[in-house]
Amino acid sequence: MFKWIHRAAVSVAALALSAGIATANPYAPYKGTTLVVNFPAHPHYHAVMKVLPQFTKETGIKVEVDLLQYLKMREKQTLELTKRKGDYDLIAYVVFSKADYVYADQLENLARYFMNPKLSDPNYDPDDLIDGYVKNIGVVGGKKGYLPGPLQSAYGIPYGSETSVLGYRKDILEKHNLKVPETYDELLDLVCEIPKLEPGMGGLASRAASGHQASHAFLLHLAPLGGRIFDDNWNPIVNNEAGLKAAKALKKIVDCGPEGAKTFAFAEAGNAFLQGKTALFLDTTIFASSVEDPRKSKVVGKVGWALHPEGVRRGSQTGGFGIAIPRNAQNKEAAFLLMQWLTSRHGDKLVALAGGNPSRYSTHADSDVNAKYPYMTTFGEALKYADPDWRPIIPVWGKINADLGTTLSKVLTEGLDPQEGLDGVAKRTRAIMEKAGYYSWQ
Amino acid sequence: MSTNSMSRMTPYMFLAPAAGFMIVGLLYPIGYMIYASFLDWNPSQLIGEADFIGLRNYTSLLGDESFRESLTVTLKFSSIVVVTEMLIGVGLALLLDRNIRGISVLRTIFILPMMIAPIVVGLMWRYMYHPSVGVFNRILKDWGFEPIPWLSDSGWALASIIIADIWQWTPFIFILALAALQSLPRSALEASRIDGASGWQQIIHIKLPLMLPVLIVTGLLRLIDSFKVLEVILVMTNGGPGLSTEIMSLRISRTASEFRELGVAAAMSNYLLLLLLTLTIIMFVYNKIIDAREASVRQAVEEG
Repeated sequence: MFKWIHRAAVSVAALALSAGIATANPYAPYKGTTLVVNFPAHPHYHAVMKVLPQFTKETGIKVEVDLLQYLKMREKQTLELTKRKGDYDLIAYVVFSKADYVYADQLENLARYFMNPKLSDPNYDPDDLIDGYVKNIGVVGGKKGYLPGPLQSAYGIPYGSETSVLGYRKDILEKHNLKVPETYDELLDLVCEIPKLEPGMGGLASRAASGHQASHAFLLHLAPLGGRIFDDNWNPIVNNEAGLKAAKALKKIVDCGPEGAKTFAFAEAGNAFLQGKTALFLDTTIFASSVEDPRKSKVVGKVGWALHPEGVRRGSQTGGFGIAIPRNAQNKEAAFLLMQWLTSRHGDKLVALAGGNPSRYSTHADSDVNAKYPYMTTFGEALKYADPDWRPIIPVWGKINADLGTTLSKVLTEGLDPQEGLDGVAKRTRAIMEKAGYYSWQ
Repeated sequence: MSTNSMSRMTPYMFLAPAAGFMIVGLLYPIGYMIYASFLDWNPSQLIGEADFIGLRNYTSLLGDESFRESLTVTLKFSSIVVVTEMLIGVGLALLLDRNIRGISVLRTIFILPMMIAPIVVGLMWRYMYHPSVGVFNRILKDWGFEPIPWLSDSGWALASIIIADIWQWTPFIFILALAALQSLPRSALEASRIDGASGWQQIIHIKLPLMLPVLIVTGLLRLIDSFKVLEVILVMTNGGPGLSTEIMSLRISRTASEFRELGVAAAMSNYLLLLLLTLTIIMFVYNKIIDAREASVRQAVEEG
């Protein structure tokens, strides 16, 4: 009799223990689920692809990836998110899509997942996520609606975010005893000095092609030189003194750039630097991995990295991608678990080691990551100055961006007076904003 | 139903499936586009959620400087490419309409550009126009000339895309003109030769007038096509510098995908459609007038 009771007690204890173990694994209910995710064909997401098998191994959740060129990805998502039942459980989105998707109520508010104790990892440490990016890519609310502030909410987590840094040719600067520029004045002096000292070589490789490219290049200088597109009341101020300075800086950079610089898109500007045709490069951090790749680069080992030079303030680019759960996703909870795992300290480090762009301060400071990518400490420092309000993230930005870019292209190629050009942009921007209802309360 | 009315209905019954397909396949999308042009519609909305705004898209486009500039670029581009391609294409056809050795190989080589995918054509020309590694500027430099800013100067950029289009599409005119030439009645040519007409006189008085109906249709097809060219320009200049090469189809594509204004893009497409329709009707009427005049001349000759 006693033996029987003992046996029964042991079995009950074993059952309870196994049940306890089962509930201790938050991934268990979703084991065997297959998530369909939509990512861009981008170096960061190529690195993510390498770590996804590790996620499946640890959690039992399978992941299918639909990889698309990033502008195509945006088009596909626009259609996909309007469907009643979507195919994607998790999407990566370009930063300026935040406005469109949130405005159309197509993304899940993340609060209900982070408030769910069964899903939310207590060791997630959101404070470690890079602040500027969380504000820029993940959160909406505040006075203007697209940045943090009172009544804010999070709809995405930055993933594959980029900022701007200055790449310089150590050998060229050493040869001519030149100093790495720290301010805008020093930078603008240097860009036109290089072609004189090194005939055939341009100063700085910059984007300049008509449209988005020229606009992006202008924005790179606008924030540090103290400018903005709008003031606090949505009045366009792109044509003020700071805006004019930024346009003149861009023109000077392009005029002292390598041959053909007036029509460079990002790839061509990058290529000019990789082929040794310029001494400087000022653009996104994601470019660094190409510099050290001997298949693409003729300047391996010759490039140093520094912070985006300071104007009247520091303000480097915030861009790149975030990840979010569509409202019409079919496996939202499992998708959240993937999202949380990818952006956790553990997942972020794995992706950084595979060649991706980390989203956490701790990963930038990690000794293993720095041993493999020595520039990571500088990038971590640069991220502190990433400006969340680098460009307005509003639904009509696409149109303003295109107008700004084509006008600047006219400044660069047709000799249009920068002040006249920017005045035109401000006037047309006001009309666009008026039509979109931004002055309804004025 | 009486047998009489049944037999009257028969042809319509046979026509019904084709008419049904036509309505679904052709008229429905056009109707959809016309309806969309009256909406304030962004791609994140279903069409039913978009606001009806009447003709506002059309009126705001008329005041839009960029749209007007794009229309001017399109008209300039299309008129130059069609005229040049017609001249070169017909000229080549007249030159190669003879039995010389290897002529068939030559003809095949001439039509090769037309067979290449537009994206590849765009990339090819973009690299040839490249300021430092492009073949044109390298040759110019070797010969001691100043390099030309092919794609980075607004004047040259339009010329550059026109050259690429002429290169790709002249063969189309050539091949149709050659087919027209080879189907001309030999008796008329022989008669003119017996009457002592020179080669030029034959071309001007016999060949070209007889080819005219085919040439008009060819020109029209090319014109319609040149209004819609997109990929080559997208790859070569993406509309730049400034708006100097932004033709209408590129503007429409950017309006839909970049500016996310589907209603405006539809209104632009309708403007383009109206423009093409007007050109087609003018050509058609012109053709009819020519035909009528010929018929009256023939009648006068027969009566006389």
